[in-house]
Amino acid sequence: MFFRPNMHVEEFEAAALPHLEDLYRTARLLAHDPSEAEDLVQEVYLEAWKSYHRFEPGTNCRAWLFKIMFHRLHHFRRRWIKAERIQPFESQQQDNIMADPEVPEEIRDGDILQALERVPIEFREIVMLADVEEFAYKEIAATLRIPLGTVMSRLSRGRKLLRQQLAAVARSYGIGQEQPRQRQGESA
Amino acid sequence: MNVMRFDTQQCERIRRQLDAYLSNELLVETTSDVLRHLEGCEACSRELESRTKLRDALRKAAPSQLPPERLRQTIHQNLRKTQPGFWAKLETRNWVLAVAMVTVVLCAAVLGQRWYHLQQRRRLVANILSLGVSDHLHCAIQGHHYPDVANPPEQLRKKLGPEYAGLLGVVQQKLPDFQVLEAHICSVPGSPRKYIHFITRGRGTILSVILTKRGGVSLPGGRLLLAGVSGGVPLYHARLSGMEVVGFQYKDYLGFAVSDLGRNEMLQVAEGLAPALETGLSAGSESEDLGITIFRPRALQWRESSGA
Ligand SMILES: [Zn+2]
Ligand SMILES: [Zn+2]
Repeated sequence: MFFRPNMHVEEFEAAALPHLEDLYRTARLLAHDPSEAEDLVQEVYLEAWKSYHRFEPGTNCRAWLFKIMFHRLHHFRRRWIKAERIQPFESQQQDNIMADPEVPEEIRDGDILQALERVPIEFREIVMLADVEEFAYKEIAATLRIPLGTVMSRLSRGRKLLRQQLAAVARSYGIGQEQPRQRQGESA
Repeated sequence: MNVMRFDTQQCERIRRQLDAYLSNELLVETTSDVLRHLEGCEACSRELESRTKLRDALRKAAPSQLPPERLRQTIHQNLRKTQPGFWAKLETRNWVLAVAMVTVVLCAAVLGQRWYHLQQRRRLVANILSLGVSDHLHCAIQGHHYPDVANPPEQLRKKLGPEYAGLLGVVQQKLPDFQVLEAHICSVPGSPRKYIHFITRGRGTILSVILTKRGGVSLPGGRLLLAGVSGGVPLYHARLSGMEVVGFQYKDYLGFAVSDLGRNEMLQVAEGLAPALETGLSAGSESEDLGITIFRPRALQWRESSGA
């Protein structure tokens, strides 16, 4: 018969599902726990599907999905962002451009992810989008709905904070007060 | 090698560029500027190395965050449970509709059976309206079977054949905000059904007006199912595959107006159009089947071409 209830769902999936890993990865590194990341990604797909008619075929589906994700994140996950803001982060004042700590000789996956977790979300999201997902500045500006200049300054600051946090993580091992924790996702 | 000149000002300037350099976001001229400095400045070279190392370490570590396999499955299932555009109506704050829906849901507990039958008929309405949506999506949207500049009316009338040529004027007159770009008789692969198809552009989008012979298909009656009545023609509405569609039923034909405009806008369009098209149809000779050239868009462009 002519009735096709799932008329375009396969087409949608073919275009959108290949980006699941990228979306989840970013969500996971922004969320507090895995289940929150899963929820967010699920919502992204549902919302994308509902507004699929607004998606222009041939344009960048991945960028579109990320845009939806960050829109949801900023509008419905204020809690994530607020919780982040309360956390004090040191070294705000020592912003001298020459005073960056050494980057350790060997960087373990677990260490850098732990360091990233300590970077406030408004910087972390930019670092993720630029350095992991490799979006262009212009795309990031569109995704987060912020000016290009803000993208650039936050990225610089974000990378710097990551570096400082990494040094802090490394220091905490060096002192020997804490054994390196086995983190989920640490590679051999 | 040059004498190590640790020119703080110069280095600071370059280091402010390093982030953009690392992201390949510098202008070519600036890039060569930075490169020239890096060649002569060991401190800045080391700094770039550090930043690259940090970035690469993150790039390597992040993919270890893999989604659980069940996530893919959950999404797969959820998509199939969700009619595209269904909740989008709520997001447009159509509270009247929301309240109506809630009321209907509450009544369902009491009027289970009647509800069930109503649902059945709603589904039938959606099935029938999906005819129009399929043609709009297949032919106009995905197939893009219309020119940027409208085809001349004589040509369109010829494509429509003597029986339907008269409808062109009706569509144009009743859609003053839209320009008829294309008109033809077309069909969806896998279905013998033929559609008289007007593709129009206006209000920033593409709107299809579609007519097809009923061939025994009948939209169910019932006040609850109707979106309105215009000039004695019952109007039905649905949102399918992200498109708003208004359907109207004549004695021998079904009509559809389809676009991604809002529901009210589409109902307004249909209110003017539906009675006029009926008059137009009965003015044409009602004798033979569509015995003229059938426009068949290239099947390759139709992703759903396999039929049901
Ligand atoms: Zn230098
Ligand atoms: Zn057509």
